[in-house]
Amino acid sequence: MSDQKQLFKGKTAADRISAQGSDQLSLPRLGFTFWIAISWMVLVIVAAIVAPLLPIADPEEIGVGPRTQGPSWDNWFGTDSNGRDVFSRTIWGARISLVVGFFSIVAGFLIGGTMGVVGGYRRGWTDQALGFIVFVLLSFPVIILFLLISNIVGQGLWEVSIALSIVVVPSVARLARAITITFAEREFVAAARILGATNRRVMVKEILPNVLIPMSALLLLGLGLTIVAEGGLAFLGLSVADGFSWGKMIQLGAAPRTLQTAPWVAFFPIGAMFFTVLSLNWAGDRLRQHFDIRELGIGGR
Amino acid sequence: MSGALLTVQDLSVGFLTEQGLVRAVEGVSFVLEPGQTLGVVGESGSGKSVTAKALMNLLPSYSQISGNVNFGNRDLFSMAASREKHFWGVEMAMVFQDPMTSLNPVKKVGEQIAESLRVHLNRNRHQALAEAGDLLEQVGIPEPGKRLTQYPHELSGGLRQRVVIAIALACGPRLLIADEPTTALDVTVQKHILDLLDELRRDRGMAMILITHDLGVVKGRTDEVMVMYAGHTVEKSPTGTLFAEMRHPYTEALLETIPRIDTPKHSRLIPIPGRPPEVIEVLPGCAYAPRCRYSIKSCLNEQPGLKSHSAGHHCACHAPVGTPSGMEARAANEAAGITVAGLDMSQFSGIEDKAEEKRSGGED
Amino acid sequence: MAGSGTAHLRGRDDVILRVQNLVMEFPTGRHQVVHAVSNLSFDIRRGETLGIVGESGCGKSTTARAVVQLPPPISGQVTLSPETEDAVELTALEGERLRQVRPRIQMIFQDPISSLNPRRVVHDIVEEGLHIWPERLQGQDIQAKVDEVLESVGIDSVVATNRRPHEFSGGQCQRISIARAVVLEPEILICDEPVSALDVSIQAQILDLLQEMKDRYGLTLIFISHDLAVVRNVSDRVIVMYLGKVCEVGDADALYSAPAHPYTRVLLASAPEPAKNVSGVEAAIGDEIPSPLAPPSGCRFRTRCPRAEIRCAEEEPVISAIEDDHFVACHFPILNGKQRE
Repeated sequence: MSDQKQLFKGKTAADRISAQGSDQLSLPRLGFTFWIAISWMVLVIVAAIVAPLLPIADPEEIGVGPRTQGPSWDNWFGTDSNGRDVFSRTIWGARISLVVGFFSIVAGFLIGGTMGVVGGYRRGWTDQALGFIVFVLLSFPVIILFLLISNIVGQGLWEVSIALSIVVVPSVARLARAITITFAEREFVAAARILGATNRRVMVKEILPNVLIPMSALLLLGLGLTIVAEGGLAFLGLSVADGFSWGKMIQLGAAPRTLQTAPWVAFFPIGAMFFTVLSLNWAGDRLRQHFDIRELGIGGR
Repeated sequence: MSGALLTVQDLSVGFLTEQGLVRAVEGVSFVLEPGQTLGVVGESGSGKSVTAKALMNLLPSYSQISGNVNFGNRDLFSMAASREKHFWGVEMAMVFQDPMTSLNPVKKVGEQIAESLRVHLNRNRHQALAEAGDLLEQVGIPEPGKRLTQYPHELSGGLRQRVVIAIALACGPRLLIADEPTTALDVTVQKHILDLLDELRRDRGMAMILITHDLGVVKGRTDEVMVMYAGHTVEKSPTGTLFAEMRHPYTEALLETIPRIDTPKHSRLIPIPGRPPEVIEVLPGCAYAPRCRYSIKSCLNEQPGLKSHSAGHHCACHAPVGTPSGMEARAANEAAGITVAGLDMSQFSGIEDKAEEKRSGGED
Repeated sequence: MAGSGTAHLRGRDDVILRVQNLVMEFPTGRHQVVHAVSNLSFDIRRGETLGIVGESGCGKSTTARAVVQLPPPISGQVTLSPETEDAVELTALEGERLRQVRPRIQMIFQDPISSLNPRRVVHDIVEEGLHIWPERLQGQDIQAKVDEVLESVGIDSVVATNRRPHEFSGGQCQRISIARAVVLEPEILICDEPVSALDVSIQAQILDLLQEMKDRYGLTLIFISHDLAVVRNVSDRVIVMYLGKVCEVGDADALYSAPAHPYTRVLLASAPEPAKNVSGVEAAIGDEIPSPLAPPSGCRFRTRCPRAEIRCAEEEPVISAIEDDHFVACHFPILNGKQRE
């Protein structure tokens, strides 16, 4: 019993006891790997933004290199059957993947978050009404929704982004509601109401700062999901019609013959998406852990 | 010493964390005879619960435990190292504070009691359940047969705690450790549970360690009391002697600060300034010095050891209450208006006399 | 025991709060109702400390919430300054009109850590009241007022400017809660088990602080606790509650030295260091408090009362006076230490 001398990181008896004490215990560090993940994200985002300025080939230009050639010094990622440079296409493809992913998760969080906080705080029929909306949205088959939208409003960049954000809203709303309810029960919220704060003031000054922290940690994880979702939609031809994303590239590269003869055409966009989503998941998870322990230290009894 | 049931020598427990070594318990020693009750009194950070868990082999693997604990002539730590299965829960058992979390919510009450009997005493299911029913009756649960098939959530707090006690007693332990067994219960139920523990103890000749933050609980129910502060034993004595003639300034201060039912309304309570130190703060010298009215220079540098005052009465203090050095130190501090540790003495003036009255009024 | 009645109400003009026939009920999922508080009445005079004592399920915390209308009671009246011209019936107000009255009654809670927003800096927390009601400042500077209040509760205002609640101890957090409540200079401060979650060695500090605040700001206190000794120490008047009803009410010393209700006597005898004047009292029968879903008929304490008779099941006892400022709701109270044969 007494011989093991493991160094224990994180939640110790002292952590819990220190809920009553001074902040002598620092938070577990985010870690080296966290920063690697963040660096990759920054790299991808910057590359996507400055793509037009980069000295790379025009992604749509046919015949930049020999057709269906593997990776070479001229074409780092090889060329596809139309002789287009895969490296350049991978960078340009990031633009749509990231924009749709970003916009839909941020809009989804804003809309869903507001719904969740308002419903979770006010309860009663407001909560029931919002809950009903969430229920309906959740029950709607996603593919049908996109088929409908693509037929009605078309497959423009904003149309697809908005549609995807609607898909995100219900899960976010439920989560925000659950977090709100746990905080709304705490005495400091009652104290705010007893002071005479209006409901709006309570939601903004007391509830929101507490909900934002765990939710923002989940934002990165959510971004990973929307990027993958866009990829899936593109694969099915339901994403942005004008232009191409990683998903579209994968669709083109996954045609059986192409896959056999020129696997690199699909491989590189898959790799790009994989590493991007992996980085987002990793960073998001580290953030979540980072804030979780602090929460336990404060409110856990 | 050879007849003693439990001998604890210099028990220390530390936890190695990222911020360094947290010393939860330092140098605790005591001897428990068969059938005797020891009360352990302390606040948060005193180390009382960690001590109990150390004795019950319930501490996590990253704890650093040193010292010597013998049950009869068996060494507890070597039994732990060799993963002895039929000692804890059999010879020595424990009852915890919160009956809500001590019981498995998805298992019937009877099964939970029977489990102990089946694992340790090799009873079959039928026998074990029959004995479980007997145990429920012994702990004063009405309609024991019906209760056997109930789930914990169907019982009230008091009944749940009785079930927890039944589980602890199932294999006939010679020592029962009760860690704040009544703190989570209502006042009227508290009395029933404490009375029950007294009765069971007497009927079975069982020894008991009763851990609590409430000095009132140990009065009249324990043979000996050990007061702990910041991981150290500060005073240890037969119960009657402690209340009649306490030696440690902390014990004295505790008795003066707690309101009593019998004292009239608006009697001024003497607060103890400051607060118990964090588990992670390690001060040179005595941990109580910053809050102590009797502190002298050596209190700041030198950790006081346990010294004997009268038969069985030990105190860890450089200037104990009621001794010449103690009275001198107190007088000096009062005259100076401030102690060597920086405690402002003026907040105590004028209420000393009321405290005297209370203290003498509180004795039986 | 548990009884209704209003004999113990005082019709004086210095009564600052009156609660009459308060009923609090909560529906559970299955068409059942928790009768948390049934027909409760009491009043408090300006500058008094009223102690409410009882075990779990007696409704004392629910009563506190009812006074601040969070949630508002099912029925009954809560009135501020009832015998004066400025009487305000809280139970008749809603929405904005209710909100306007809020600064007059404040509350502190049992769990010091949970009472403070973990994401806000302590200084902001204490300031909050003054941002909502800037007119309460009366010309003083916000910073000055907050600093003054923090110093008076023993918190260094410089330290408080940038620190969050988790950086303070339990006792300090309770002080901060008191500061937050007191910054608006309310008339009434409700303390719901304010020291129960604190270490024994610092309880007296907080009790002293509450007394200091009371003197300094002219507060009237409602002090709720399960700890009999603490309640006697701080209160002028005490109410003993059981299962949503009043058992006994009166001057603290009178009630404790000559408890008339069997439940009060049982409570006093059950304390770890029991009151000396109740030796020989029979214990309450059984551990089980009856369910508030279906409280016993007549007197609610009768199922555990060693003195219960048939009348107790049929007729609910009404609160009546037994001596000056000492009232009890019982058919067979113990008077002058003598027990009814």
